[in-house]
Amino acid sequence: MIKKLFDWLKQPLGLIAVGIVFLAVFSAAAYGLWTTQQAPEQPVPGFPHKTHVAFGIQCLYCHPGASKGPAAGLPSQAKCWACHNQIVKTRDSALLAPLKDAVLSGQSLEWVPVAIVPDFVQFNHRAHIAAGKNCEDCHGDVSQMGIYENPQVMNMGWCLNCHIETAGDDQEKLIKLADCGTCHY
Amino acid sequence: MTNAIPEVKLAEEHVGKWGMVINQDICTGCQACVAACAMENNITFVGEEDSGYGRSMHWIRIERFWEGEYPEVKMTPNQPMLCQQCGSAPCEPVCPAFATVHSTAESLNLQVYNRCVGTRYCANNCPYQVRSFNWRDYERPEPLPNQFNPDVTVRRRGVMEKCTFCIQRIHKAQDEAKSEGREVMDGEFTTACAQACPATAITFGRTDDPQSLVSQLAHKGHGVKHLEELGTLPSVTYFKGG
Repeated sequence: MIKKLFDWLKQPLGLIAVGIVFLAVFSAAAYGLWTTQQAPEQPVPGFPHKTHVAFGIQCLYCHPGASKGPAAGLPSQAKCWACHNQIVKTRDSALLAPLKDAVLSGQSLEWVPVAIVPDFVQFNHRAHIAAGKNCEDCHGDVSQMGIYENPQVMNMGWCLNCHIETAGDDQEKLIKLADCGTCHY
Repeated sequence: MTNAIPEVKLAEEHVGKWGMVINQDICTGCQACVAACAMENNITFVGEEDSGYGRSMHWIRIERFWEGEYPEVKMTPNQPMLCQQCGSAPCEPVCPAFATVHSTAESLNLQVYNRCVGTRYCANNCPYQVRSFNWRDYERPEPLPNQFNPDVTVRRRGVMEKCTFCIQRIHKAQDEAKSEGREVMDGEFTTACAQACPATAITFGRTDDPQSLVSQLAHKGHGVKHLEELGTLPSVTYFKGG
């Protein structure tokens, strides 16, 4: 029975069938991988970071936690509306309907964080800002982005490379920056 | 790579960085530290059945011992037992995944949850029996998840865990101090168990600073370090009969 199947698979038609199955599995896997690398859907579709940066708004205006504590924070609708309410074009824009709905109904805008670390990693923005890192060192050039996308995979190797580079020849600093307990507890 | 056998040191000579002093004479055994520790560190509630199998999870427990035969039993002072943060820890060399490692920066024994594969060698080799293993993902009914401490990882099934000397508080205090351009002051922060103790039987602080309260208490003379004869260099000093 199995020998018969193998014989059939060795025919040109069988080889084509194997090829089709292989291609189908491969493209399904590739599609699956591709979907994990896409920016998630945000409550305001197509939110343009670049427009906001182009107006000269600082990162810390909307994400003020970065200089003070662990989380940079995502702005509430009150903060968005404070500006957008005063601009006639944006106040009545259909694109900003989700924002207006949120303000009128009192429901919060549920932004989806993109630059995230697993929950066994304890990350603190403040320490990184205090050490002289700029936002774009990790988050890329946001002035060219619509919905934010990570410019690189944020994994431990990437973190640790920068930590070791930052420490340089300072042994004491290296011990602190390469210590497991600095991020994992 | 061969690891050199560490030089044999007396427990009293071991300095470390963070240390604890527990006064057993004033400990009332009220279990406030046990509760506070569970709240601070997101420790799960195992429940009756698994507790019966000896799978209860605590990072600190109150040990009680009895002396003498039945009618004339005498209870010894309550003994809070937690990870002794050994300077030469028996749990560390046995881990095949390097999940329990020594922190050179803080002189603590770390448990890296994402590395742990759950062999439980460390718990078997711990002379203090202070490590606990997540045998299951225990249920946390609503609204219990609302009281999770965001600074501490919520562990999942199959990893070992143990007292960290509230390393999240250490980091927070260091971060605050650094943002204000100063050193961490003695008594500025303390562990959850020490904070909750109504009898102030637990004192936490820097052992490498001779001025700190904890090192002054530790050098009072009648302190005991448990199982120091094993060469574990524990960081916790116990007092009783003082």
